[in-house]
Amino acid sequence: MQTMIQTETVKQKKRKKQKRWGIHLFPIPALFIYGLFIVYPLVAAITYSFYDWKGIQKQAFVGLENYKNLFTLEPFSGMFWNAFGHNVLYFVVQMVVQNGLAFFLAFIIFQKIRGAELLKMAYFLPRLLSVIVVGFLWKLILNPNFGALNVILSKLGLESWKKAWLGDPDTALMTIILVNCWFGLGFAILIFLAGFQSIPKELIEAARLDGAKGLTMLRRIMMPLMMPSIMIMTVLTFIQSFEAFELVYAMQGSQGEPYRSTDTLAVYFYRLAFGGATGDSTAIGLGSALAVVLFLFICVFTALFLNYMKKKEVEM
Amino acid sequence: MKQSIWMKSFYYIVAFLFASISLYPIILMIVSSFKPTIEIFTNPLSLPKSFHFQTYEKLLDQVPFMTYFYNSVFVSVVSVLLILITTSLAAFYIARYTYWWNNILFFVFLMGMMIPIKLGIVPLFILMKGLGLTNSLWSLILMYTAQGIPLSILILTGFFRTMPMELEEAARMDGASDLRILWNVVLPLMRPALGTVMIINFIQSWNDFFFPLIFITNEMKKTIPVGMLSLFGEYSADWGALFAGLTLSSLPMLILFFIASKQFMEGLTAGAVK
Amino acid sequence: MNKMGKAWLFGVFAFILMFATACSSEKETSKKSNASKEDEKADAVTLTIGSWRTEDTAKYEKVIEAFNKKHPDIKVEFKPSKNTEYNTILNTALQSGEGPDIIHLRPYAPGIALADAGYLEPLDGLTGLDAFPETALQASKGSDGKQYGVPLNMSTTQIFYNKKIFKEHNLKEPKTWDEFIKLNETLKSKNIIPIALGAKEGWLLSAAHGIIGPAHYGGNEFVEKITKGETNFESTEFVNSIKAMDQLKKYFPDNYEGLGMEDIRTLFATGQAAMFPMGSWEIEVVRSLNPDIEIGFFPMPSAIGKEPTITAWVDGSFALNAKSKHKEEAKLFLEFLATKEFAELFTNEFKMISAMPGVKAKDELVTSLGEAVEKMSTPYMMVVYFAGGNPTSKTTLENELQGMYLGKQTPEGVAKSVQENAETWFKPFQ
Repeated sequence: MQTMIQTETVKQKKRKKQKRWGIHLFPIPALFIYGLFIVYPLVAAITYSFYDWKGIQKQAFVGLENYKNLFTLEPFSGMFWNAFGHNVLYFVVQMVVQNGLAFFLAFIIFQKIRGAELLKMAYFLPRLLSVIVVGFLWKLILNPNFGALNVILSKLGLESWKKAWLGDPDTALMTIILVNCWFGLGFAILIFLAGFQSIPKELIEAARLDGAKGLTMLRRIMMPLMMPSIMIMTVLTFIQSFEAFELVYAMQGSQGEPYRSTDTLAVYFYRLAFGGATGDSTAIGLGSALAVVLFLFICVFTALFLNYMKKKEVEM
Repeated sequence: MKQSIWMKSFYYIVAFLFASISLYPIILMIVSSFKPTIEIFTNPLSLPKSFHFQTYEKLLDQVPFMTYFYNSVFVSVVSVLLILITTSLAAFYIARYTYWWNNILFFVFLMGMMIPIKLGIVPLFILMKGLGLTNSLWSLILMYTAQGIPLSILILTGFFRTMPMELEEAARMDGASDLRILWNVVLPLMRPALGTVMIINFIQSWNDFFFPLIFITNEMKKTIPVGMLSLFGEYSADWGALFAGLTLSSLPMLILFFIASKQFMEGLTAGAVK
Repeated sequence: MNKMGKAWLFGVFAFILMFATACSSEKETSKKSNASKEDEKADAVTLTIGSWRTEDTAKYEKVIEAFNKKHPDIKVEFKPSKNTEYNTILNTALQSGEGPDIIHLRPYAPGIALADAGYLEPLDGLTGLDAFPETALQASKGSDGKQYGVPLNMSTTQIFYNKKIFKEHNLKEPKTWDEFIKLNETLKSKNIIPIALGAKEGWLLSAAHGIIGPAHYGGNEFVEKITKGETNFESTEFVNSIKAMDQLKKYFPDNYEGLGMEDIRTLFATGQAAMFPMGSWEIEVVRSLNPDIEIGFFPMPSAIGKEPTITAWVDGSFALNAKSKHKEEAKLFLEFLATKEFAELFTNEFKMISAMPGVKAKDELVTSLGEAVEKMSTPYMMVVYFAGGNPTSKTTLENELQGMYLGKQTPEGVAKSVQENAETWFKPFQ
């Protein structure tokens, strides 16, 4: 009798297992497309970084020479750190201005103010434009002589504020980053708003009964529960600001003009890998090495950050 | 919630101030596109004296805009569908089964978000050529699908993990196959997350210009951003044409957004944080 | 409710898709019927031309038409890409063994690099090549001494001026550097921007230096010495040429640091600025902005008692892709580009100076530029000899000049950086 039951369950288990074989097919389509069009070309291109290149022609295998040159040979190392600094600034400003502002605006909308739907739409609208369009549009607006911004400033009597926004190295990079914030604000608001809305109503009610309000409520009750959305935005902003390319390219071209003041790592990579606009010489080996370094940097930092956040979450 | 009137009006002022900053450049773009260039230079901020449609006629005469539009729609819709199918299968597997390699698989997919894919453009080009896909919209569809997979898997996996197992268990008891469980039981509950994936990827593939630049040389296969890009070069001094070109490039997306803004918003907020 | 909403969204997508399909299928079919007509013309060979001159598309149609009168069985398509992305697209295609049959080649170092890498087919012995002078052929001669391109046009850079403004204020073309400076002062005192130049795009600066520099370093003699390694960029002559660039900034428009090509062109075309240090390729663009403008030019008067100069170089050649499947047909087209017939067509349609000597243009300005080139030209040194290295010496000069105008670099510092860069690759300096 007992043996019979046993064989029964074994059989059942076996059948279950057999049936579950099909499940392994589930990730195959995604893995196939992803592997073929993302992983394979990347791996193929990584090998470029171990070769010497003359123009667009592969030469001898040189091992880690390109990596060494990237960090020790002038002007390449200078350009690397210059661009790296700009990426750091890109990240910091986006975190403070775009995400900070978005958090606050999401908080306001969460207060159920009138017109919330329309407001959300307005904030999100820029995100629908192509980055190329955003770049061109703002280039026109920021034009020092005919652009709308300087015209508005002089109408407001702020003549002295007028500037060649994109031509002055002191303002060019900041201007681009702020345009990026303009572009990304709406998306960040929606993410934070989702975070606010996922806070259980009972919790807020209970806290209010305990007399918490305003900022106390925000800091004590909401903040910990907002951590997941803050985390997501931080990671996305980090990746995005260290790969900042399209907007800078659309507004300033591939030389990081003026005077390398808007150079970022991805623009620098593009310049090395594809040459400048008028057919400047390329340095594919060096460019590939740069891309690999950039990739590893982003990977490691993201992993560290996620790990740290996970630990914190457990502690809380 | 009781708040002082001051606080409340402060909130309103801030909210509307930033809303107008978000909107104004876009309004300026559309308004300026109806002015002749000379008027933009002399009167950049005013409303147009009269609506000047000639610039649009000139542009539409010069480029096959409807063809670009169709190409963009086809590419974006098909890649979004492919992303939805492939990633919901993969994310279901990653989130619902506990094989030891699942975490590795997840991580491998996530790394895709950090890959500077422009680096691989030469191998990609050779690959597309080998597949006979240069100058074909399918080269773009496959690229956008591949590019959209990492973030979509992240979103969907997160969402799957928050969903209770009971329903699935019950269905499994009844002897339903995994595919049937996914299709009949799980996916209907996943609508918000699927909406998020759909919208994010739709915007992404609609607006990309780098891949068509490299893969497509046939005028009749270009998408809107890359097709319009050559106009921007040609009319670099004609601001009226530039504004009209920019408006024209953005219009389809803006219209879609106004028709379905509620879905956009809900879609994006619902699945984003789980 | 939610379910309804989503279904609705899908509906919108589907509607748009259907709408778009309907619209485009019309076009597609009409295109197809065209294509089938083409097919009937016996298996016509189709050649493609890659170029960065998107603005010349209509003009190339005329060139192709003229070519088809002789060779009706060869179909030619002109497929330009935006100039800023042309190299990315071309390089990617060439590396993958693809690319257009006929390649519009950048002059000197960048183009020669493609030849040296084996992507181009040598053209020695092509009928008509001997009509070009050696200086023109040099722009696309490989390091192996073979000829890889049919030179297309000469570009010149010089100071253009608005004839009407000069007449109104009774101003004359300057014959000496001092007169040039005085001219600037007069214009400035009359509230006219003397020189339309901006520093936002680096290449504008190296182009301007190509015009103004020779007045101080002394033109061809200096070029000869520096290319032999007998002098260098830190010499007084060259440093003076940078100092002159610095001196002129007070005659530039307000906010010149932030002005790009479009802005300065607009300033000149609308008559807000009197002079425009720019290349011959801009003549037609300025005229299209303002058809009434009367443009004149003057050669750069020397500051050190030499002859005035006009800066000229070959700006583009056409080459043959080594991987082309229709080399014979492509050669026929290239031979056509080397005929006098084409040179005349080119000069008159494109309003540019043909690389072939002795071709008369209908346009007065182009003709007098062409004559000036034959009498007093000096090469655009940074393009012809110093477009090598990584970053190139030319880019370095551009970048450092930007730095100078932004107050972050001295003229001596500019010269030093360029010299240091050139030493990394320029053989005579090593």
